Amino acid sequence: MRRSLLAAAVVLTALMLQAVVVNRLPVPGYGPDLPVLVVVAFALGAGPSYGALLGFITGVAADVLPPADHTLGRLALAYAVAGYIAGLVEDVEERSVLTTVAVVAVGSGVAVILYAGVGGLVADHRVTASAVAHSLVSTVIYDVVLAPFVVPLIALAARRAEPAA
Amino acid sequence: MRDNRRARLILAMLLLTAFTLITLDYRSGGGGPLRSIGNAVFGPVERAANAVAHPIGSFFSSLGHLSSYKSENDRLKAQNQRLLQQLHLTNADKAHLAAADKLLNLAGRAQFRIVAARVVANGSSLGFESTATIDVGSQDGIKRNQTVIDGDGLVGKTLSVGPTTSTILLGNDPDFTAGARLEGSGQHVGHVDGGGRNPMTFTLLGTQATMKVGDQLVTYASIGDRPFVPEVPIGHIVRVQPTPGQLFSSGIVAPYVDFGSIDIVGVVVGTPRTVKRDSLLPPSPTPSPSAGSPSPSASSSPSGSPSPTGSP
Repeated sequence: MRRSLLAAAVVLTALMLQAVVVNRLPVPGYGPDLPVLVVVAFALGAGPSYGALLGFITGVAADVLPPADHTLGRLALAYAVAGYIAGLVEDVEERSVLTTVAVVAVGSGVAVILYAGVGGLVADHRVTASAVAHSLVSTVIYDVVLAPFVVPLIALAARRAEPAA
Repeated sequence: MRDNRRARLILAMLLLTAFTLITLDYRSGGGGPLRSIGNAVFGPVERAANAVAHPIGSFFSSLGHLSSYKSENDRLKAQNQRLLQQLHLTNADKAHLAAADKLLNLAGRAQFRIVAARVVANGSSLGFESTATIDVGSQDGIKRNQTVIDGDGLVGKTLSVGPTTSTILLGNDPDFTAGARLEGSGQHVGHVDGGGRNPMTFTLLGTQATMKVGDQLVTYASIGDRPFVPEVPIGHIVRVQPTPGQLFSSGIVAPYVDFGSIDIVGVVVGTPRTVKRDSLLPPSPTPSPSAGSPSPSASSSPSGSPSPTGSP
């Protein structure tokens, strides 16, 4: 329960930071995608069910958060699958930093591909081959760079919130 | 891998729900009740978040502009008081004043009635979208499909309007398209299209018309001025693309607005009956030997016409 409250607070913060700060930073490419990073970080500590559910809720919030302008449910689907996949790695003994980074890379990449894939189904002509390639490279690289800082921090906070689960 | 079956069941149900949402929203053409709720709930939160986080963001985005704003400092100080009253700027820094000053100048010349606004959030959706939230909404008289400008020219149009915030589609979004007219010409019209990562393009309709590098583009009025009011500067042609065997010619456009750093914008809510042609365009960008003088009228008479007051 306390972990869920923590997750809700962190997700809301990530969504706000993304819209208000990150998307306006003059960085090359598109910058990181904080919500998927947060979903993956919580999923790594709480398993696939939790990861999928948190990903879905985060995605729905991101879908309706202004100024989003795409078909409702696309990010929900993308983040849910990313959270599920990350959650599958929960039980790996002695998870190394490298594994964590790899999971973040896969989660971010899967999110982009699913978001773009569903975009193709609903005839979103923002989805072009070059846009997908750029988004994939940019999102994965930035999220991987942030992962060693964000994931341990969230893991620590989650353990504090719900000790000895 | 414990409780794997349960997790898979949950995932399957979530995916089903997501596809249901997608189908419903797609069939309703977007703008369903959930998005309205999102506008009403998250809009104010974004405004508040922006009030806290904006100094950080504006610090970074203004790094590149520091030198140019410093020189304008003196002139801007004089207008400080008036602008503060008009725009309710509580934390106005030099960059904001410069932007606000230019916006009022452009709107004043055009006699547009505008509602001034600040950008509080930007949309990206994994990099595919270029949208923004502004801090005015239906309570301020904003409606869907209105022109959004800043001091440099066309920013975009309003997409959806909440009570106190609105979403705008920026000119560099791949979904963006607007009717445009070449400067000076009578009927040389076409459309500009945002390109996402690629540059903005202009497609000139009609086989007789030609464009050349440096030609400036302004908006061509939409029916009832929605979504676009006439004569707003868009950009200038930087390259004409060869289109062999095509009826329409097209060119690459350098927009006047830097979509990456928009901050203070105005939503056009009223227009005069006519706007004088080409009256809002900045000095022509065509390269001239005289080192970039900002005033076109001063440098536009190279001929040695005798001036009666010139001799000492």
